[in-house]
Amino acid sequence: MLKTHRLIHVPLMLASLLFLAPLAWMFCTSLKTDTDIINGLGSLRWLPSTPTLSNYRSVLGNAAEFPVWRWTVNSLFVSLGTSALVLIVDSLAAYAYARLRWRGRDKMFNVLVATMLVPSQVLLIPTYLVIRQLGWFDTYWALIVPASAGSFGVFLLRQFMRSIPVELEEAAKLDGCSSFGIYWHVILPLLRPALATLGIFTFMASWNAFESPLIFTDSVSMRTLPIGIAIFQGHYGTQYGQMMAAATLAMLPVVTTFLMFQRHIIRGISLTGLAGR
Amino acid sequence: MSTNMITLETPAAEKIVDRSKTRRRDHDNGWLFALPHLVLFAGFVVLPLVVGFYISLHHWTILQKFHPFIGLSNYRSALSDDIFWLALRNTVYFVILVVPASNLVSLLLALGLWKTRAFGAFYKAAFYTPVVVSIAVVAVLWQWLYDTQAGLINLVIQSWCTDLNRLGFHLPSFNGFPWLSDPHWIMPSLAIMSLWWGAGGNMIIYLAGLNNIPPDYYEAARIDGASSWQSFRAITWPLLRPTTLFCFIFSVIGAFQIFGQSYVLFGDGGGAGRAAMTLAVYMYQQGFSEFEIGYGNAVAYLLFLILMIVSAVQFGLLSRRGDQ
Repeated sequence: MLKTHRLIHVPLMLASLLFLAPLAWMFCTSLKTDTDIINGLGSLRWLPSTPTLSNYRSVLGNAAEFPVWRWTVNSLFVSLGTSALVLIVDSLAAYAYARLRWRGRDKMFNVLVATMLVPSQVLLIPTYLVIRQLGWFDTYWALIVPASAGSFGVFLLRQFMRSIPVELEEAAKLDGCSSFGIYWHVILPLLRPALATLGIFTFMASWNAFESPLIFTDSVSMRTLPIGIAIFQGHYGTQYGQMMAAATLAMLPVVTTFLMFQRHIIRGISLTGLAGR
Repeated sequence: MSTNMITLETPAAEKIVDRSKTRRRDHDNGWLFALPHLVLFAGFVVLPLVVGFYISLHHWTILQKFHPFIGLSNYRSALSDDIFWLALRNTVYFVILVVPASNLVSLLLALGLWKTRAFGAFYKAAFYTPVVVSIAVVAVLWQWLYDTQAGLINLVIQSWCTDLNRLGFHLPSFNGFPWLSDPHWIMPSLAIMSLWWGAGGNMIIYLAGLNNIPPDYYEAARIDGASSWQSFRAITWPLLRPTTLFCFIFSVIGAFQIFGQSYVLFGDGGGAGRAAMTLAVYMYQQGFSEFEIGYGNAVAYLLFLILMIVSAVQFGLLSRRGDQ
């Protein structure tokens, strides 16, 4: 028994090297000059002969064509805005579905769950039309509001809320607390771990969203980082040093977020996956 | 139940009145809490679903003001459109390449991690990090890894060839696989890249499923002298079925929607021989390059229909086998 346990580290270590190698190669390339990359043809060499930040400088330096800072600010604002909206709206809704009684509640919840299976592509073109009608095309609204309309968060929070014992609410009710008072003073504090999970999830999903910002925005200054990367790719094509520097910059915030909140995130996924039972 | 509690506790009479009032208030305004979400849901899920179907019944072009009703013509033309069928074939090919392989990898990783305490957090982070990276970054990174001359993958294969030659094997000279330029290699290449990108996500779900199996079962099996393969077959696999079903259905739904991998690498043309033309890319191309959003949305609805059928079949197959 013990023997197999120790040996298991061999395949696991190999597998993790395989999973990390592409990212390491990306980072190493971003520190190489073009000549360094060309000299590397035909021989496998990881480390740059003389590490340089020139790729990063040229990626960040051309603000007229590639406003990387602006894209970063856009991504940050949109991701934070979406997360905030989702947390407020979904926690209120989850409270209504988990704890309050109202006509048609369970039917409505089933509708929400059923639409979670709708592929997002079905909604893209019509949402684009709705956004045009509202005059939101190429604005932050277009990137924040439709992305907050899904039901995943309601589902996740309701699932979590049902594991909170009712006694506390009963006590608050006896003290004459209103429904909103219970939501605010009792539920929200207890919900904090689930809110953290949902917030981080939403942030990462929004940070990485590709199709909707591609379609819902138009001008270079309204693009988000992933679209910026695709724009880069169109221009730089095979200038891999610059490409990898841009990719590293775009990846850094979300990977840092993940590593910081790893435990929350993994617990959240587990909770969602188990909800499938 | 509420009367019970009141008789048991019996505080002041006014409190009883208060309580019933609160109860009634629950009934009345519970939906108010759901309202903000319902407004968003109505505007950006229900409305688009209805509008999408409506425009798919019209000859709807972005630049024109008048959109004549044409019934199911868009659907009919899709079904007689060679590129639609090509896109469907490519998409199904991608799903077949990526879903079983990636679920197998996820399950193996989860089984490996299941009882491993040491370095557990490191392994999980290593396998999960690709999942949090944007598809745009993944695609440009893999374009570099797949580069015929200077990409990491071909360089590694080449160095292996050199080593083998030095050992006395006489291999033909290696010129590098054309991962992304040969139509035959394009979909397998996209599948490998997608596997790397997504395997960690399902791994966590499988891990949660495994942790949910009561350890006593294994204890009992061990006492009965079952081998580890036997206890996997008799305990792990059947008890993990709901998790497997969940992962499979969602992987299929995700894989059917493949867009970014193809779009970032090849634009909306599908690359060499249109080998990377998928349904989602075709929808985008029709909608936003040709401005035929009526037709584009008919393609989207066909994708939706296919997915519903596939999910229903999977559900039937996997859950029926569970009953036996």
